[in-house]
Amino acid sequence: MNKSQIPDHSPQKNSGDRNLKAPIKDFEPKIVGFLCNWCSYAGADLAGTSRIKYPPNIRVIRVPCSGRVNPLFVLNCLMNGVDGVLVSGCHIGDCHYSEGNFYARRRFAILKRLLEYIGIDPRRFQMAWVSAAEGERWAKLVGELVEEIKEAGPNEHFGGNR
Amino acid sequence: MNVELRKKAKELLKTKQVEMIIGYQRGPDGISATPVFITREEEAENLIWDVYCVYNLSNYLKDFPGKKIGIIAKECDVRSIIVLLQENQLKRDDIFIIGVECSGVIAEHTLASGKESPGELDFDEKCKACRPSTPRLYDYLVSQKDQKDKGVLPEENPYQDIRKFEAKSIEERFKFWQEEFSRCIRCYACRQICPMCYCPRCVADQTMPTWFSRAPDLEGNLAWNVIRAFHLAGRCIDCGECERACPVGIPLREVNKKIEKDIKELFDYEAGAGVDQKPLLSCFDQNDPEDFIR
Ligand code: SF4
Ligand code: SF4
Ligand code: SF4
Ligand code: FES
Repeated sequence: MNKSQIPDHSPQKNSGDRNLKAPIKDFEPKIVGFLCNWCSYAGADLAGTSRIKYPPNIRVIRVPCSGRVNPLFVLNCLMNGVDGVLVSGCHIGDCHYSEGNFYARRRFAILKRLLEYIGIDPRRFQMAWVSAAEGERWAKLVGELVEEIKEAGPNEHFGGNR
Repeated sequence: MNVELRKKAKELLKTKQVEMIIGYQRGPDGISATPVFITREEEAENLIWDVYCVYNLSNYLKDFPGKKIGIIAKECDVRSIIVLLQENQLKRDDIFIIGVECSGVIAEHTLASGKESPGELDFDEKCKACRPSTPRLYDYLVSQKDQKDKGVLPEENPYQDIRKFEAKSIEERFKFWQEEFSRCIRCYACRQICPMCYCPRCVADQTMPTWFSRAPDLEGNLAWNVIRAFHLAGRCIDCGECERACPVGIPLREVNKKIEKDIKELFDYEAGAGVDQKPLLSCFDQNDPEDFIR
């Protein structure tokens, strides 16, 4: 993430008001993805080795399991101006640690609703199950996320792209 | 009522069933109730229980590990004791719960106004969502025969205000909380007073890593208030102490209650329902909803 390459789209920092702004055409969202090592990371890797093209907006952070993801990781990203956060793990029943994704599912169901409640666009926090064999699906998912977060616009709630 | 309470307290101290009793006494202003810790029989005469006994005393229980403690507790206080038992923060045998029947405590602003007898409107907001009741767990119950059930009626829909707020636009919602949280001075009174915020090192105090800004700026305040509420998910029993303690009047119960409502809808879970209940986030159901997952 070279800071000099990131255009500053935030004329009204901290305004929190989408309506005041003209649509931004060349906005390239920054997305952070927390991917579990055993499924989603391998799935993303497969997409890479299969040379499937998908938008480069996602920065991947490998975690042992979706159950390892602390809601603080998500908040920390959002507070630092990341436009969208994805937590991705194995499909239910496939977790390498049997139960990790069950816990993650509960935890993030609550966080997702809470963030929405305090006025953070729900598109900015997403969760997915992607298996090691789903390279295609991974690429498609990232494409969709990028489109959705483009629509949501840059995250300027907290000082925007710093 | 107070007679029975004092008698029981004396008996407990005399027979050495407990080493100390945590209860309420009349405050120096002659109206309010303040916490009191008694160890001698004669001190039991100071004990009171009435609508002014707002505080949740269960927060003090953890300060006396290994001691036998008696505590005067109403329904909401008892539910916080239950959560602490679920989380192995207390030993059931170490505490003796003197349950009191409650039909609502008064709102703090009534106290401040110095009114002698509270009218119906002056009951605390939290009591409106609570069924005036007998605590669900106690070792001895002081029944409230002499006082008519003049308490507030349970609200038809306790989450009405939350739903109304949810229906607002996302911009409005952000603006509201931005304004509220911008007043936060990060005094952490909300944390100190909460019986469930017992972490030896709170995430707000950690520096390796620093999870969010420690300065009272928007990022830090928002992250703090979100994570505080999140850490209380399935544990907050709506005693309302955090909101009462907040010096700048942030409506913290409106965040707590949002989660309370969601976990009821999502997982049919109610905090502090019973000692055998598992903590919300240390268990799961195969069929937990996942319509939000792609
Ligand atoms: S979060 Fe507030 S209302 Fe909930 S248990 Fe803690 S002090 Fe009581
Ligand atoms: S806010 Fe969270 S980390 Fe801090 S004391 Fe409360 S539960 Fe513990
Ligand atoms: S009590 Fe109020 S001002 Fe103090 S940290 Fe909590 S929310 Fe902020
Ligand atoms: S290992 Fe993939 S979700 Fe647990």
